[in-house]
Amino acid sequence: MKPAKSPRHLFRGLLIALFWLGVWQAASMLVAKPVLFASPLDTVKALVRLLPTKDFWLSVLGSFRRIALGFFLALILGMLTGAAAFRFRLLRELLSPLLTLMKSVPVASFIILILVWFGSANLAVIVSLIIVFPLIYFATLSGLGSADPELLELAKVYHVPGKRVIWQLYRPALWPYLRGACASALGMSWKAGVAAEVIGTPAHSIGEQMYLSKIYMDTAELFAWTLTVIVLSAIFERAVLWLLGKAGK
Amino acid sequence: MEIEIQKLSHRFGEKLIFEDYDLTLKDGGLYGLTAPSGRGKTTLLRIIMGLLAPDAGTVTPGVRYSAVFQTDRLLPGRTAVDQLLFVRGGRKDRDAALAFLAGLLPEESLTQPVGELSGGMQRRVAIARALWADSDCVLMDEPFTGLDESTLRHTADFILAKLRGRTLLLSTHQKELLSDYSFDWLTL
Repeated sequence: MKPAKSPRHLFRGLLIALFWLGVWQAASMLVAKPVLFASPLDTVKALVRLLPTKDFWLSVLGSFRRIALGFFLALILGMLTGAAAFRFRLLRELLSPLLTLMKSVPVASFIILILVWFGSANLAVIVSLIIVFPLIYFATLSGLGSADPELLELAKVYHVPGKRVIWQLYRPALWPYLRGACASALGMSWKAGVAAEVIGTPAHSIGEQMYLSKIYMDTAELFAWTLTVIVLSAIFERAVLWLLGKAGK
Repeated sequence: MEIEIQKLSHRFGEKLIFEDYDLTLKDGGLYGLTAPSGRGKTTLLRIIMGLLAPDAGTVTPGVRYSAVFQTDRLLPGRTAVDQLLFVRGGRKDRDAALAFLAGLLPEESLTQPVGELSGGMQRRVAIARALWADSDCVLMDEPFTGLDESTLRHTADFILAKLRGRTLLLSTHQKELLSDYSFDWLTL
C-alpha cells in the first residue's frame, strides 16, 4: 500500500496546480480572444452551466459505457488470446502479423473503416478494444514468459497440479506486466474512444458534444468537455488499477 | 520401487560425462553420491528426474520424485509453510505442515516470508519440502550447503526420520561428516 501523502507534499502539489492555472490564465489573456482560447474561469463557468443538464449526464454515461465496455472486452480477450498464444507457438506465429498491423495502423484509419462497416453507434467500443487489445496481449505474453523457469521445473518434478501452478507461479509473474499495460491502455482508450466519437458523432456521446462545441465555436464548452474527459479517465484508471491490485493479491 | 539406470551415456559438447553407466537404486535404499566438482553429479540427478534427456540409455519410468536442487527454489514472498503446501495438500494441511517443519526449524520462522530467513534456514525449508511431498524417491543435490556441523547432523537425522521407506539419493562433498550414517556410497 502506498504511504499517505504528507501535508507538505499536498501543499507542493497545490502550488504546482496553481502555477499551471496561472500559465493558462496568462495565455488566455495574451490571446485575448475567448472564442479561440477560453480562460480557466470561462471553462469553469461552462462546466457549471453543463453540469445540471440532462444532455451532459447522458453524454458522459454514453461515452463511459462504450469506452469501458471496449476496454474490458479487450482486457478479457487480450488475456485469453495472450495466454493461448503463450501456450501454442503456432497461434502466436499466426497472430503475429495481425497484431503488428493493429499496432501500426493509424487510429484514424480504424475509425473510418469501422464507421463504414458498422456505423457510429458502437464505434467507441470497437476503437477502444482495438487500441487496448495489443497492449494486453503482449503484456500477457511477456508476463507469462517471465515466470521463474526454476520454479516451473520444480513444479514439474513434484507434479504440482496445473491450477496451482497457474495461480501461484504464472499469476504473480503476469500481474506487474498487466498492471503496467493497463496503466497505459486506460488513458489511451479514452483518448482514442473520444476521438472516434468526434469523427462518428454517435448520439449521447462526449465526442458529439465536442463536435457541436466546435460547430458553435464555443471554446469554453470544448475545454469543459475536455476537463470532463480528463476527470473521467483519471477516475476510471484509478478504479481499474485498484481492482487489479485487489485481484493480484 | 527399484530404479534402474542402464547404459547411460551423455556428453556436453566434446566433454564425455557418462559412458554406458549402470546404476541400480534399491527400494528404500540410502545412497550417497560423491565425486569431484564437474564430474556430473547434478547431471545424473537431472537425468533421473527426467529434466534432461540423455544421449543414450534408460531410466525406470513412472517413479515419483521429490528433490532438493542445487539452489533452494522457494516461492518468493511466501512463508516456509506455504512452500510445503505448494507441493502437497491445502489449507486443511497447514497445521500438519507446521508440525512437520517444526522438527527442523525454529517455530517463529515458519510463518515468516522465506526471504527473511537465513541461507541455512532456507536450505532446510527446501529439504523439508522434499520430504513432505508424496514421492517414491527423494533426490538431494548438495543439501547441506551452508549448514554448520551440528545443524548438518540434526538435518541428516531429520531426513532419515522422515523418509518413510523411500529411496534416498544424496550428492555431497561432505562424505566424512556423514560417516555415522549407513549410506551406500557411489562415485562417478
